[in-house]
Amino acid sequence: MSPAVVQRWLAPTAGGAVLVAALVVGGFLYALTGGGARDALVTQMLINAIVVVGIQVYVGNTGVLSFGHIGFAGIAGYVFAILAISPERKATIIPDAPFGLADVSVSPAVAGLVAVGVTVLVGVVVGLGLGRSGARSGAVSATMITLALLFLVHEMAVNWTELTGGDRAGLSFDLGDSLGGNGPVVVALLASVVAARLFAESPWGRLAQAAREDDLAARAIGVDPAVLQMVALLGSVVIVAVGASLRVYELGTISPRFFFFDYTLLTLTMLIVGGRKSVTGALVGVTVITVGNELTRWLAGPDVSITGLDWILRDGLSEIFLGAAMLGFMIFRSSGLLDDWELDRWLFARWRTRRESRPAPPEPVRHSESVLVASDLVVDFGGFRALDGAGLSAEASEVVGLIGPNGAGKTTLLNVITGPVVPRAGSCRLDELLLTGLPVHRIARAGVVRTFQNLRLFPASTVREHVEVAALAARGHGAGREAPTPESLLVLCGLWEHRDRRARELDYGTSRRLELARAAAAAPEFLLLDEPTSGMSDSESLAMIDQVRAIASGVGAGVVVIDHDLAFITGICDRIYCLDQGRVIAMGPPAEIQADPRVQAAYMGTAITAEPSAGGSTPTTAPP
Amino acid sequence: MTELIQQTVDGLGRGSEYALIALGIAVIFGVMHLVNFAHGELITVSAYVAYFLFTLELAWWVYAPVIVGTAVATSIAIEFVAFRWVRGAPDFTMLLTSFGVHFVVAALFVMFVSANVRNFDRPDWITNTISVGGINLEVFDLVTIAVTAITLLATVYLLQRTMFGISLRAAAEDFDTARLMGIRSNRVIRGAFVLAGVLAGIAAVFVLMRTGRASPTAGLTPMLKGVLAALIGGLGSMGGAVLGGFALGLVEVLLLARLPDGWVGLTNGIVFLGIALLFTFRPQGLISVGHAERV
Repeated sequence: MSPAVVQRWLAPTAGGAVLVAALVVGGFLYALTGGGARDALVTQMLINAIVVVGIQVYVGNTGVLSFGHIGFAGIAGYVFAILAISPERKATIIPDAPFGLADVSVSPAVAGLVAVGVTVLVGVVVGLGLGRSGARSGAVSATMITLALLFLVHEMAVNWTELTGGDRAGLSFDLGDSLGGNGPVVVALLASVVAARLFAESPWGRLAQAAREDDLAARAIGVDPAVLQMVALLGSVVIVAVGASLRVYELGTISPRFFFFDYTLLTLTMLIVGGRKSVTGALVGVTVITVGNELTRWLAGPDVSITGLDWILRDGLSEIFLGAAMLGFMIFRSSGLLDDWELDRWLFARWRTRRESRPAPPEPVRHSESVLVASDLVVDFGGFRALDGAGLSAEASEVVGLIGPNGAGKTTLLNVITGPVVPRAGSCRLDELLLTGLPVHRIARAGVVRTFQNLRLFPASTVREHVEVAALAARGHGAGREAPTPESLLVLCGLWEHRDRRARELDYGTSRRLELARAAAAAPEFLLLDEPTSGMSDSESLAMIDQVRAIASGVGAGVVVIDHDLAFITGICDRIYCLDQGRVIAMGPPAEIQADPRVQAAYMGTAITAEPSAGGSTPTTAPP
Repeated sequence: MTELIQQTVDGLGRGSEYALIALGIAVIFGVMHLVNFAHGELITVSAYVAYFLFTLELAWWVYAPVIVGTAVATSIAIEFVAFRWVRGAPDFTMLLTSFGVHFVVAALFVMFVSANVRNFDRPDWITNTISVGGINLEVFDLVTIAVTAITLLATVYLLQRTMFGISLRAAAEDFDTARLMGIRSNRVIRGAFVLAGVLAGIAAVFVLMRTGRASPTAGLTPMLKGVLAALIGGLGSMGGAVLGGFALGLVEVLLLARLPDGWVGLTNGIVFLGIALLFTFRPQGLISVGHAERV
């Protein structure tokens, strides 16, 4: 079986099943030791696990902190209760229910399905709002939207008494054992966990995780975070809605405070303690917090009395435990117990490493005929004119250099071409396609892919994952361009030996090569490299000449490169543009540019005789 | 017209509390990029101190300085116990840290005092009204607005004219550069928490006089309103936070007064909906501070 299939389908499914089996068996063994109270406790734990795994799908994959998932749970819970309660019972508790809901009578299963459907509809609206707000990892405004949802649902539940029974009474009912024991809970949990793992390993999940690690770097390889977040949110909402329906079903009652702050604290603490980036972690967190909660409840109960400690063994102890657990983990280990560790990934990685052999580097491919043209660009930052009519043109078969003193506008020019900066005037085109005004990910999809001067890798991802994600992004949007396999690119960039190391463990030079490999894997027609040799030793940057050339011919891309290292830039470029104060002051082959007095004046202040080191590029005459 | 003036004064009174709390939240956000969900705990702790003073049968003018002092002490304590350790952490971590502090403090009161609400008497003059040209104005609103105005002017003076204020604004603008200029981060951050404590303390005096109750969640609603106001104004913008507070107060009062019967209960819901829409379409708040990311 191919490693890709194992990684994508088999491992997550098997891993998820093992995890659920462990949780269920452990739970029911515990239940055997005691009476009905422990039965109910275990059921509640399994239901909480569904809800927490549901939250994990969104929070874990996107990095957006959501307080609103319990709001979604509240919607699902009420829809379920109002539909599933028998008309006779409704005649007593909510006789004035609007829309003829008092007479509706459906089975709990159907009620659950409708609950899921309604919640998903709300999820679409909220998801559109989150997308519009530019949600990304740690975005405060997105978190506030979710918090507003939580409060909005609570306020409606409190005030719409004809439908919800209000704050005090709530809705209580007895559906008997119509779903049949714990079976549905276990099945729902299994489905949720497997779905969560499959999602995390799916292209959507992996691209969402890339955007979680670095939003801009992900967009620069063609990822559209808004779409992925919407997908994650809807999947997440489905699971949460199922969990909420089951919770209401098992408790036989619902009131506004069931799905409010306390439950938010409980579920979020479970997720945080276990490790929000991991489904395994979510389940570990559920277990740890449930055990801890029971322990503190028992300690605070009437059965325990320890002389000298009675002042602490009382009401509020389990709330303190929860709050302290969240606080303690945030301060000392914010990534939770497991961080992003997954059982099945761990097993799978060993399986794969054992049977892997070094692939050959990619064969050179024919360059396309594409032309990248930027012309008459004007960019103002406040009162500072960063670009003042600069432009460039490059063909897919050449390497074009971009030099100039600090502040000349080189990086700004790159930022305009790739989208983060929108110019006040001027335009960029790739053949017939107007790039100016397109969002960053659309420009990357069109084939213009960049690297970053200040390294924007995905810190927690391995070297291999960087390249795989970029290839996934390219394949996902159907670029239609042939790209070498991720593995062969790793070999080409000298990264094969490092393939299973995480980006945050890499040295500077290796990180730079990884930036390059990731960009190359995104099926570029043009690679825009922002100081690929910065921070490298002389020998490393000379080696970079061959590496960049090999990559360019391996993916058939044209190259536009900014660098301060003149040995590197003259060694690699076919043509060089020299920028000064936002304008192109000279263009030509390296030798010509080196001899150009204007370039010498602007760039060096004196004639270019000595080769400057990487850091020695500060202009000796500051531009006025 | 009369009605509108009355409502405006009422809204400004309510907005004063929000503005003071929001300003503290914006100050803290400025220096450490933390949205402080634990800011309400300053009011919760103050509420119990106020209740304790009430049981001693002390007069209200004694309460006020003690409440402000309590809020400042609480603010420093929370910074020392929790926020100091997550400085520079990702926003995700800091949000949840402050969320955790909120729950721990509330649970401590449940544990060591009671989950029940404690009521105390409010001063007699609080319900008095005076009539100006046929317009009935609540004395309490006028006092609140006046004290808030003085406090805000003093804060502006502090921020504009003192070394500490200038350091604080510099740190809010660009913390790293401020440090390079010799501004001591510990001192600035602690100072921000003291300032936020004073502002929240003054707000607490009004909140407690108005509600006359202490409970483990006494600070929750004021905190939320403060956070929302600060966000409406654009987090990090101190002027924006104050404007956001007054705007929120006015909107609430107008909604309460103008909504048809049966809808009044939904005031908060409508406010939350409005907030959600605001963040959807203007995530940077009404006043954008605009810290563009460097690429």
